[in-house]
Amino acid sequence: MKKTLTVLMMLAGLFMTSGTMATRNDKPPASRRNFVACPIVRDTKTMPCWLAEYDGELYFLGLQGSSASAFYPPQLNHQVLVEGTVTKEPRICGGIPLKPIRISVIAELNRGCNTLLPAEDGMEAPPAPARRFVDSMREPGKDTSQREFNVPFDFDSDYLTLHTTRIVGETARVAKAINATKVEVTGYRATTGLSNGKKFIEAESVAAKRANKIAEILIGLGLPVATVSVIAKTEPEPCDGVTDADQRRVTIKLIP
Amino acid sequence: MHSSRPQRTLLRCAIIATVGVALLSVWLRAGSARLQSSPKWIEAGAGGVLPAEMNFDNAYGKLGVLNTAGPIEMKGHPFFEPLGINPRGCVTCHQPSNAMSVSVESLRERWRITKGEDPIFAAVDGSNNPKLPQALESSHSLLLNRGLFRVGLAWPPVESKGKPEFTIDVVRDPTGVNLDADYGLKGANPTVSVFRRPRPVANMKYVMSPDDVFNIKTGTLMATDPDTGKPVGMNLMADSRHLTLKQQANGAYRDHQEGRQGGIRREDVEKIVAFEQQVFIGQSFDNWGGSLSEPNGPLGLGPRAMAEGKIHVLANNNRDPVFRLFDAWKKPETMAKELNDKQREFRASVARGNDVFMFRLFWIRDVAHINSIGLGNPIKRSCSTCHNVQMTGQDLAPGWVDVGTTNYPTWTEPPVFSDQAELPVFKVTCNKDALPHPYLGRVIYTNDPGRALITGKCVDVGSIVIGQFRGLAARAPYYSNGSAKNLRELVDFYDRRFDMKLAEQEKVDLVNFLSVL
Repeated sequence: MKKTLTVLMMLAGLFMTSGTMATRNDKPPASRRNFVACPIVRDTKTMPCWLAEYDGELYFLGLQGSSASAFYPPQLNHQVLVEGTVTKEPRICGGIPLKPIRISVIAELNRGCNTLLPAEDGMEAPPAPARRFVDSMREPGKDTSQREFNVPFDFDSDYLTLHTTRIVGETARVAKAINATKVEVTGYRATTGLSNGKKFIEAESVAAKRANKIAEILIGLGLPVATVSVIAKTEPEPCDGVTDADQRRVTIKLIP
Repeated sequence: MHSSRPQRTLLRCAIIATVGVALLSVWLRAGSARLQSSPKWIEAGAGGVLPAEMNFDNAYGKLGVLNTAGPIEMKGHPFFEPLGINPRGCVTCHQPSNAMSVSVESLRERWRITKGEDPIFAAVDGSNNPKLPQALESSHSLLLNRGLFRVGLAWPPVESKGKPEFTIDVVRDPTGVNLDADYGLKGANPTVSVFRRPRPVANMKYVMSPDDVFNIKTGTLMATDPDTGKPVGMNLMADSRHLTLKQQANGAYRDHQEGRQGGIRREDVEKIVAFEQQVFIGQSFDNWGGSLSEPNGPLGLGPRAMAEGKIHVLANNNRDPVFRLFDAWKKPETMAKELNDKQREFRASVARGNDVFMFRLFWIRDVAHINSIGLGNPIKRSCSTCHNVQMTGQDLAPGWVDVGTTNYPTWTEPPVFSDQAELPVFKVTCNKDALPHPYLGRVIYTNDPGRALITGKCVDVGSIVIGQFRGLAARAPYYSNGSAKNLRELVDFYDRRFDMKLAEQEKVDLVNFLSVL
């Protein structure tokens, strides 16, 4: 009982510091699974699988990969925000696959999230997508027609991955190529509509952190300071339980 | 009967001659010993020629040192001359015989030979605390027992713009330096003193190789060389505080040589940097395995392989692995015919050790800046996941990681309040609005906050830049805080830290493998 209370208090503390819970307006569609839970890692004969449990059901999130992979796995010792759509595909490692899926590691430590399951027969992982890091991933593009760029982020995070740094690099390249007179950087703060009927709102400061970080990088990449403007939308974006993850973003508009 | 005078005189002469010969013999033997050992330690300002190729004995065999620019006259060369107020030169702490670092064995020998007068024991950083009585061996215990020099870093951290994400308190400091009114955290110039090993100044083309425009560890732009504006590698220092060899030379002049105002002369910096870029090290001979740089042997061993290798190769793969292929040593039938059984056995063990390093999977867990940068926690990978750069085993990206050598509870230090504790212990308390350390949270006990003392960031507490693996046999102890006295302790730390469940043979193979690098 005491242990349960401690866990509940820890969870309550977590929600207060890393995201804000509020009553929902609209329920996500029945096919959606948006929840915060402890991730589970299952060893297999090949690549470890990442899973999470919600409402008595186990869901498959993705496979261990590399920094070049599209899927960045969760972390034990941290809860994970899962935002995905249930598929009718066969279970993987015992879990129902969610596609598309976005996951975000909740920054606060949670030592209760510590489940590592051994490999066992019948829990095989599918072949891992062959995405190795190659230098061509860093090669600049050639197209200069794009005028608006969208940089996605994980929940409450301003960390840029290998993939999203490339977007920023491309933005700078195009801005230079067209001699952009204005570069408008807008940071957003989002809300996730959870399947349990609550809203999970990002920290107020995150929009500014995201926008400032990207503006700093663009200037570091050679865009004139005077051309770069920064806007931080501190009001959380509305949620629909489906496209919420897409609202955690920075948009960059290039004006020739 | 008495001997006649001439006979007595003859006898006396014979006795004198015998004693004389004996004394001469003792003197010559001592001289021979001096001749054998003196080249191993180079005193700053002593002059002489540094040959292009050198081989120095160590416990495992010989270390090879290759100076690709040919022999150098050390007299007048700024790497080998005292430049500051104390009589140290760069070479004092970066000895060719110790893989351009220093070993505890050499330090103890210097203490014995010079009775503690060698400039390497200078009060400023060669003692636990400049205010301790310098003639006492105990005042230099961290240097003599663990090969550690004091590194005093300004508080608050330089990159934090006066607003670090954490506060730092001294929980206990056996050296007293962090609590000292002048040198400590509460002094007029608040300073945090940590104790670290000097890194090898060799194989620099690999160490300094820049990665990309972006720093994958932080998701920000890579730091740049202030002179060229180009990205730098950030793998030179334990905390990446100096980004270029030039900055490091200036920093070492100021901090370790007690440099004069105005700094080091530009032409001296250029000469030092040029020398550092032309020195390559690698174990060249093994006492059990024989020559390590045979024509048909492994491609990655010996100093010449270091000089000729490609830079910036991500090598955590089975096609062209981190320390190249050891296929020639895998089976007796592929080894040279003239080898004896023990040599074959040793070489096969090294090849197995390479396979353990490259391919033996285990759960890499709770390592900040590895598990926390999108790879997941834990990841089932091998040593080469993090030690992925070909030839050195450093990280291709800026290599600061918190593997747990300096932080409680994974450090190997005695309990904080034990009389056996040697290192200071700090309590780091992170601000509520800061991103916490991913696996230690917001209250961290550490004997070296590492990179965090430069950035002021909570996530960086305990992160130390991965060092290179070359010349290990010549420069024990290991880890930035000298906590592994030998290669076996280094392997044992990883085995415990990651619950690798290494078999005894795997540990032996790993040690043998590391000893020939």
